[in-house]
Formats: sequence, C-alpha cells, structure tokens
Amino acid sequence: MIDFLAAAIRIATPLLLAALGGILSERAGVFAVGLEGMMLMGAFASIVGAWAAHSALAGVLLALVGGATIGVVVAIVTVRFRADNMVTGLTANILAAGLTSYLLRALAGGGRPLAIHLTPLPPWPIPKLDQIPVVGPLLFSLPPLTYLAIVGCVGLEAFLLRTRAGLTLRATGENPEAVFASGAEPMRVRVLAVVACGAVAGLGGAVLSLQQVGTFTDGMTGGRGYLALASLIVARWNPIGAALACLAFGAAEAFELRLQGFGVPVSSYIVQMAPYVVALAVLAGLGRSSRMPASIGQPLQWD
Amino acid sequence: MTDSAPRAQSSRLAYVWPLRLRLADSMAGRVAAAAALSVVASALLVALSGHNPFAAFAAMLKGALGSPHQVGFALNRATPYLLAGSGVALCFRAGVINIGAEGQIALGGVGAAALALHFPASLSVLAAVAALAGGALFGALWAALATAIHLGRRVHEVLTTLLLNFVALLLVQQTLAGPLGQFGAGFLQSPELPRAAWLWKVPEFGAHAGFPIALVAAATLSLTVWRTPFGFSLRVAGSSRRAAAYAGFSAPAITWSVMLIAGALAGLAGAVEVLGVQHRLIEGFSLGFGFKAVTVALLGALEPLAVVPAALFVGMLEAGAQSMQRQIGVPSALVIVIEGITMLFVLAATVRRA
Repeated sequence: MIDFLAAAIRIATPLLLAALGGILSERAGVFAVGLEGMMLMGAFASIVGAWAAHSALAGVLLALVGGATIGVVVAIVTVRFRADNMVTGLTANILAAGLTSYLLRALAGGGRPLAIHLTPLPPWPIPKLDQIPVVGPLLFSLPPLTYLAIVGCVGLEAFLLRTRAGLTLRATGENPEAVFASGAEPMRVRVLAVVACGAVAGLGGAVLSLQQVGTFTDGMTGGRGYLALASLIVARWNPIGAALACLAFGAAEAFELRLQGFGVPVSSYIVQMAPYVVALAVLAGLGRSSRMPASIGQPLQWD
Repeated sequence: MTDSAPRAQSSRLAYVWPLRLRLADSMAGRVAAAAALSVVASALLVALSGHNPFAAFAAMLKGALGSPHQVGFALNRATPYLLAGSGVALCFRAGVINIGAEGQIALGGVGAAALALHFPASLSVLAAVAALAGGALFGALWAALATAIHLGRRVHEVLTTLLLNFVALLLVQQTLAGPLGQFGAGFLQSPELPRAAWLWKVPEFGAHAGFPIALVAAATLSLTVWRTPFGFSLRVAGSSRRAAAYAGFSAPAITWSVMLIAGALAGLAGAVEVLGVQHRLIEGFSLGFGFKAVTVALLGALEPLAVVPAALFVGMLEAGAQSMQRQIGVPSALVIVIEGITMLFVLAATVRRA
C-alpha cells in the first residue's frame, strides 16, 4: 500500500508542477495549452545542463530557463500579437518537440541523438521525521524537486489569495480593464504570468528527466502537459485542488502499473487509456459547474 | 443544417469560380513575410549546428524535387495533411478549435484496414472505395464522440479532442494486438491488405490517387465556405457567436456539421495513407499527422484554398529533410522546428479579427 501511494506521489509530481504553472497562466487570462512544450523544454534543458556543468543544480536552473523560453514565445504571440491561445500553445508544443529533438542530435554533431545517462536525483530524507511509520517514507523521504512541488503548491495558494500581486494577477484574468484602471498594466501581468508558467512547468519536466530517469528521450513528456491542463481545470484553478487532482491521476496510473504487475488479463493498451478517460469523465462530470476566469483567452485591447 | 440561412443565396451557386483567392493583398504579404522570417530563423539554427545553411536547403530542395520518384513521395506526404488540414481549417473558420485530427486520422486508418481485410472478394472492384468510405466513417464517428462531450457537457472542444487523441492511438494498438493484428510479425501491424484495395498509382512517380481526391475536397470546401448559405452561416459564427445567434444560426448545428466533415476528411486522410502508401495498418503510421494538419489549417482558416500550397510546402519539407540528413548530416528534426517557427510567425502576422 505504501508502495502504491509512493508511486502515485512520484507520478503526480511532474503533473503538479506543470499544473501550478498553468494556474498562474490561466488565472492571468491566458490558456495554458503550451504546458506540454514547456515541460519538454525543461526536461531537455535540465539534462543537458546537468551533463554539461556536472551539477544537478545547474540542471534545475536551466530547466527554469528552458521552460521560460517557451513561455516567452507564447507570451509574445498571444499577449502582444493577440493570437488564439489554444493554437499558439499547440504550436509551442510542436516547436519544443522539434527543437529538443534537433538540438539533441545537433549536439552530437550528426544524425544520432546524444546519449546522456545521469544518476537520477536521490531522495533527501529529513532526519527524525522520516522515521515516522507510514508518513515518514511517504512524505519525508522524497527527492528534492518533490519537496519543491509541495512547497510551491502551498506557496502559490498563499500568493494568489493573500498577496496584492496575487490579487492583481487574478483580476487580470477576470477583468483586465479594472486592473488597468487601478494603475497596473494587464499586459505586463499576463506576460510575466506566462513566462513564470513556463519556468514552473519546465521544472515539472526536470522532475521527469533529471529526478526520475536521468536521461532525455524525444517526446518524453508523452502528453503529461495535457493531463496537467485537465487537472487544473478539474481543480477549478486552485493549487491545493490541483495537487489532489494530480494525485488522483497518479493513483490511476500507479493502479495500472499494479494491474500489469499482477498479470491481470486486461489488455495493457486498454489500461493505459485510463488517465485520459478518467480526465474526460471528470471534466464531463463537472460540466457546466466549472467557471473559468471571465476574460480567459480574450486578447487585451490597447491604443 | 442550413435551413435558417437565406435561401436566395443558393441560386448564386451557378456562378461559381472556386479558384478566386480572397486573401487581402496585405494578408498574403504578411504570410509571405512570416514564411521568409522562418526560413531565416531556421538557417540560423543550421548555422549554429555548424553546417552551411545554403548547402542544407539545396539538399532539401533536391531531395523534394530531384526526381519523379521524389516528387511523387512529396505529393504522397502532402496528401493526408491536405485532406485533414482542409477539415480542420473549416472548423477554425467556424470558430471551433478542433485539434482531434490526430486521433481521427488514426481511426480512419483502422476503418480502412478493417474494410479492406474483410471485404468480400467477389466485389473486389469496390474494395478501395469501400475502404475509403470506412476510413471516413470511423474518423467522423470519433469526431462525433468529441463533439457530443463538448456540446453535451460543455467541456472545451480543445480538451475533448486532445484527450481523445491519446485514447485513439491506444485503440489502434489494441486493434492491432487483437482483431486486425498479424501474429508473429514482431511488432504491431496488420497483414498486408488485398491488392484490390490499394490506391492506383501514377507509374514512375509513385504518387497515388489520394492527391487528386484531396484537391477536390479542398476545392469543394472553398466553394462551400464562400458560396453557400451554410458557408455564410459558419463564417458568421466564426467571426462572432453573438451575431450568429442574432441571425438565427444554430451554433450547435454548425459545430456538429464542421466537426463531422472534418472528422470524415481526417479519417479519409488516414485511409489514404494506409491504402496508398503503407498497404497495411502499422502502429504509429500517422504519428504527428494531426498536428501537421493544424499547421496547414492555420493558413486554410484565412482562405480554404491556401491549404494546398501549405500542404505541399510541408510535404516537400519532409521529403527533402530525409536527403538533407543523409547528405549533409543536418538532423531531419529541423523540419519540425521550421514548421513550428513558421506557424508562430503566421499566428503573429495574421492578427485575428476581434
């Protein structure tokens, strides 16, 4: 059982970081369809950074930069040029898929991808606390980026609900004219939010590559950005809720791995559909009751 | 679907001139500028990787147009993008962000393969037609599922179409592991389809009959958008939902129609790839096709016929990229970067109507 929950937490971590980024972006009024590309770019940058600088910390910092780069692209095209959020996000994902695949081969100087194999980040047990039965191994013996995700989740909740900047960000997603009237600049808020979204989602990518596998492969995010997007909508744009939604997806996937392990005669392809079908079912179940930020996807007017 | 549109317009169908380009001069100029900028940006990327961009582009051009066989290859690559892209463009035009072509294409391939494999041999004259129809049907059904969830439960169409893509790809694998699979093949594929179901090919070029089919589809859609009451209603809905409601056009009816048409065309794209190129259903035969269709559709949303040059551009890029990688050693993944950059520039250059 502890193994199962630990697996759920492990699978949920990259989703949660991406979802937190997405909440920043969507609460400011820009759809976060580009999460997949931001994660992928972060996963790539962190592995290459850690490999080149022989330092995991450099990898983590570069993941922030890599994800933020995609964020900058999305921010310019959607906020400055007022392009459709959905299509721009999808395009950013295609760009990230191509760019990471191209650069991985260009770095090796030819047609073959560069092979980098690093040791995945080890857990950092917290002394004393990790001795508590059940809770200790589950919550106090985690790898570093997982702690960061938990702290980030609580921090984002506090930022959005308890700070002036958080209020401005939420207002930009609801009523940018009011934000403008109050003396802030909605365009700057949106650009910053989308770039921050990229950085945080990039960290989610680093969890996959740097913390869990130790290598980068083409398209390794495999749709997790889209699942993160679904989970933040299910959670109605709340960080804590997003954590629960991601844990639910993590549990679904962990359960699937379990089933395969026990040799239950269910086709693995059918079982692999579970997270997507669950996401659709939950979204459909929520239906009309989920209220989006009022001006999400609406371009800002100026001149 | 079009009952509510003014009936008088249908008489104008007689005076049709489908090839008339409606792109405003400035819009065409902007798209050209976007394409030029993306070429410059990708040349920089090639240079950064230590290769000569001019040599790379020359190798690409030669790979795409160097011989009749390569021209045929490029046309075959462009065909599914043209088919699926036309449908997605129609959705974009109507303000429906359908990005489910990926899954609809994959299921179209399943439909085509299933019909081709189980079609009675006595009627083999009709095998190819039946398989194409099967592909279109499966694609349309998958689109219908996404539309039903979207309209019935008010889940954004981007999410329903996107999540169903992943399910569709797994469904293809499941059918290949089960009913359609060839046992002992080593990986997931169907047995070879009977020859009667293969698409006719131009000798020497190797281009299959899918390309003319796709051209007809693109021309028909252009006609529909500009010259029919239904096209008018979807253009109004795409510009302003409110105006459409005021004019009495039913938004759900428009969404259903464009989604079903787009699904059928995407399914046809999958069928054409299976019947014309692969001659069997193979796992991942259409990986990334749906997103290429979105690339192509970005231009097609401005002018339906613009999907033709856009699809040819992407098809030639991909045909050329293979030989560029072989000859100069520039990774062919560069093509995806070029596509992504071009799309972004096009998106930024063609600011949507407010």
